[in-house]
Amino acid sequence: MPDSIDYSRKPVLILGASGFIGSRVTAALTYSPIYRPVAASRRSAVSVDATDPASILGALRDADCVINCIAGNDQAMVRATQVLCDAARSIPPRRIIHLSSMAVYGAATGTITESHPPVDPVSGYGRAKIECEDIVGRYVRDGGDAAILRPTCVFGPGSAQWTTRLARLLQAGRLGDLGAGGDGGCNLAFIDDVVGAIVSALDAPEISGRIFNVSSSAELTWNQFLMAFGTALCATPIRRVPARSMKIETKIIAPFRRIAAKAIKAPWTEAVTPSLAALFRQDIRIDCGAAQSALWLHQTPPDQMIAAVLRDDRMKQELAPL
Amino acid sequence: MIQSADDIVRGTVVHANICVLGGGPAGIVLALELAKTGKSILLLESGGESPSEQAQALNAGEVVDEKLHSPPDRYRQRVLGGATSIWGGRCVPFDPIDFEARPWIDHSGWPISYDEVERHYAAANAWCEAGEYEYDARLATPGGMRALLRGFSPLHFDANGIERFSCPTNFGDRYRARLHSAPNVRVLLSATATSLRAARDGSRIDTLDVRNGRDCTFSVAAEQFVLAMGGMETPRLLLTSDDVHAGGIGNVNDLVGRFYMCHIAGTIGSLRVNGTADSVWHGYDVAADGTYCRRRLALLPETQAAMGLSNAVFRLHHPRIADPRHGTGPLSAIFLAQRFISYEYAKRLVSDVPPTYKTWLRHGMNAVIDSPSTGRFLLRWLKTRTLADRKFPSIIIRPRTNLFSLDFHAEQVPNPDSRIDLGSGLDRFGNRRLRVDWRYTRQDVETVATSFDLLSQELATQSIGHLSLASDERDIETVVRRDGAYGGHHIGTTRMGASARSGVVDRHGKVFGVNNLYVVGSATFPTSSQANPTLTIVAMAVRLAERLGALATRVPSIQESVS
Repeated sequence: MPDSIDYSRKPVLILGASGFIGSRVTAALTYSPIYRPVAASRRSAVSVDATDPASILGALRDADCVINCIAGNDQAMVRATQVLCDAARSIPPRRIIHLSSMAVYGAATGTITESHPPVDPVSGYGRAKIECEDIVGRYVRDGGDAAILRPTCVFGPGSAQWTTRLARLLQAGRLGDLGAGGDGGCNLAFIDDVVGAIVSALDAPEISGRIFNVSSSAELTWNQFLMAFGTALCATPIRRVPARSMKIETKIIAPFRRIAAKAIKAPWTEAVTPSLAALFRQDIRIDCGAAQSALWLHQTPPDQMIAAVLRDDRMKQELAPL
Repeated sequence: MIQSADDIVRGTVVHANICVLGGGPAGIVLALELAKTGKSILLLESGGESPSEQAQALNAGEVVDEKLHSPPDRYRQRVLGGATSIWGGRCVPFDPIDFEARPWIDHSGWPISYDEVERHYAAANAWCEAGEYEYDARLATPGGMRALLRGFSPLHFDANGIERFSCPTNFGDRYRARLHSAPNVRVLLSATATSLRAARDGSRIDTLDVRNGRDCTFSVAAEQFVLAMGGMETPRLLLTSDDVHAGGIGNVNDLVGRFYMCHIAGTIGSLRVNGTADSVWHGYDVAADGTYCRRRLALLPETQAAMGLSNAVFRLHHPRIADPRHGTGPLSAIFLAQRFISYEYAKRLVSDVPPTYKTWLRHGMNAVIDSPSTGRFLLRWLKTRTLADRKFPSIIIRPRTNLFSLDFHAEQVPNPDSRIDLGSGLDRFGNRRLRVDWRYTRQDVETVATSFDLLSQELATQSIGHLSLASDERDIETVVRRDGAYGGHHIGTTRMGASARSGVVDRHGKVFGVNNLYVVGSATFPTSSQANPTLTIVAMAVRLAERLGALATRVPSIQESVS
């Protein structure tokens, strides 16, 4: 951490700063010569209850920009976004960067640009993200300055969902070569690329009201990624997971694992849920042309993404063979 | 989109940019690769999503010598996925020598180089789900594969070549969802091509006549047509389509259907390996990507050139199943269960000679006496084969003594007298059925005999083991005749040539003299190699897709610049 706080740097309020993306944004801004992170969450030094209007209003007073990384349950996300936008109408920050998700596209297939409508079925999480985007959209129509980023599945050191979980499942032989069940487009976004796009968005010109997909560029299927990740993890030989086993796992065993996961965090309580299995099949390619031109999006190649994970000391411990 | 052609009304003309005939591995890969061009692709498959007797009956035909060649409705499947619905999954690339014009083999040499095919093998491996494109035993698995025969360093054979195994992937099952979801691909099932209609000057194909499962005729109009129908149906359709081109399309020089090759293959000899059981490993190793890999002994190109031989490989094999003297319970159990094994596999596993009651009895005794091994084998088979998606490729049974036989798989030289022709019978659409006149040559037999002798000498010289022939195998030709044409490998019937004098199709697979008609598949291979053809069929499909994709993008730009 810098020895002293440089108040000439622009203060950036990061909501959800204790989460995976929020903490990485905070870390990136800590060393920025331009921005000063104000990490806000229930657990951080700046304690903010994102669902409490008074708390948010207080936090906005000192903020030049706001990055909304709040995750959590669907209702809390929507509520926090509403509270933020309402408060911003009273004390408008220079810009809000709102983190949405590719989940808003639901079951869409093909090459997806930001204007693609949702395709049913859309998950509860996806519907909540759509609602959040609508709230931000109304804020922009009312004269506010905000941009929305839609990262895909965020991969990288510290990603419990898209790195540790996948690694554990590969090591246990419950994921691997999925055959036709893994032909979907692997739209992973590397955490450093996501953070880079967020930081770029703080001062990028003429992006208010715009939405940006953020993903890796590789034309990769999930099978190809899982094979590469499994090989790098030495979870070899990669197991061919029969469609029959996948069906049993998702339909019969996963609910029990999820119940157990509420009490115990262990590799065996990691579930391959029906929605995860559906994602592996989803033939979707996320077009990031807009983010590339407006936010100078960098797209780390998959092999470098994997190498970065394996280099990370914390991940080395976390992903040690079972 | 996948539809049944039975819903198409009589007289309809179906339009597409590119029409691919045949929903086997070549057709499916070609259609999905071409889908990337954005052009409309029509894939016609005579069968349905699952096999039917009605569709399969269209494969029937005549065989001149039934002892040498299986009936044409065997080893071929009219179903989405084609013969991959029954294949064993062995994937092996061709060798550089296969592409060369070899003075000691008449009609050898491809009009394209090895490199032009080799660069597509990685993609072909991926389509076939045969893992990484790595065919060196020292590199295929972490730390290298186990030695086939410890201490054996042959002078005439490469002991580091391997074969990799597909799941085996049924291309129909595996890629059905992708065919279904590709927005510009339309698959019509139950759509049997009956005739190619050439323009009056014969320079291009205007339309294709198609019959559906209810016998209604409709036609297809396309800018390009590709025949991906296999080595038997391709010449049949070309020969049948003779209304403008007398004698059949592409048959000006009477080459269509000629040079029909399979492989000279079988099981031979008895190899007693010196030393302990761990000095020999004839089973599979598993690569990091999960594929099964197996070593083989491949005749070196220098030896082929020096001795005037064609290409050949040997694999260590368990003793002949039909001979109960092996005393091995699992092998006898397989013999006893032959009635439950499909024709295509049973033909290789058991004897063509009807067994006597004594033979049955001895096999029964083996199964009982060696019942612990039989039980273990059956359990392992259930786990690694029946219930597995990536299946254990074949029966590997460690003989109780170090006694093995040899599997050989050899190239058959091109021979114009070996041919597919039209027979006298008619199918239900009124088209003439196939007539198969497969022939082998003395040169084919010599390759097996000489390479067997070479191997035998090298094994003896290096004190690895003793290779001998049974009394009824001393004349190698009897062994060649016993096993006959290797089923399912139908090669060379519309061969690729530098000109119309030497081939039916050019270096790109385009039929000479017809501007918009292509052939893809083993029918175009001028020589047969030692390798099983599927991997190279798929590589050639990827190659043709690249060519047609380039043409598809060039044609509109030319049209635009003209207008």
